[in-house]
Amino acid sequence: MTSFDWFRRFAFTFGPTFAVLYVIAVAKDLALFTVFPSLGIVLAGTHHTGDVADAAMGFLAPAMYWYGWAATAALGALMIGLVVASLPVCSARYVWSGWVWVIPAFAMVACVYLTLPWFRL
Amino acid sequence: MALLGAITHQTLGAWASAGVRRGSFFGRFRSVSSASFANAVIALYVISTLLGGIIYLYFRVDIRPELERAGHWHFLGFFDLKEHFSAIGLALLPAYWVFWQRPRADEAAQTRIALTSILAFIVWWNFLTGHVANNILGFGS
Repeated sequence: MTSFDWFRRFAFTFGPTFAVLYVIAVAKDLALFTVFPSLGIVLAGTHHTGDVADAAMGFLAPAMYWYGWAATAALGALMIGLVVASLPVCSARYVWSGWVWVIPAFAMVACVYLTLPWFRL
Repeated sequence: MALLGAITHQTLGAWASAGVRRGSFFGRFRSVSSASFANAVIALYVISTLLGGIIYLYFRVDIRPELERAGHWHFLGFFDLKEHFSAIGLALLPAYWVFWQRPRADEAAQTRIALTSILAFIVWWNFLTGHVANNILGFGS
């Protein structure tokens, strides 16, 4: 197996896996870290504004989870991608290459679903 | 803008039928190698996302509270989608690069077209949402 074959399998695994893990991270609020930009601090794990300041002061210390969600998904996808890329070549022969776009497309639809509460306000 | 142009050109070139007449609008589109756009698209996408990730900090502190006070809830929903789509698009770049640089004969061309179309959709969504974000506080004033 050449290094390009290895990278091909890693790339084909990383994208869809990231998409699935990202949706799970958003749905379950699993941020690897939380950023409080106005306070200039980053805390490991998911923290809501009420954890670091009075909840009523949320507008002064807004929490940002996007970076943490992306980091959670990237870390998980990286590990799974490395494992899959190291498997024997024959195990990947029958996997349909279309999954590389079908799964992310469904993940995007799931993101739309998770965003629907904004449109009900 | 360069990213928009590159990904749009590549997507239209990929979708255009191989039987299209030479010299026609789509024929000229196809005459440019779509694969040559791939590296530029990846570099521009990464740069745009990094810059967007930095600007996002200021947006969250300075702009979003104003939008919330003004009740632009639908727009905030669209903006959330922008950040979700950006992350998913970023993760698709390695596969996108593989499909454009070293496609295998046993891999369907439709997969490459679909992957490119998803990225084009994300880039256009992000551009339009960002553009509206830039102007929204001026709406109705």
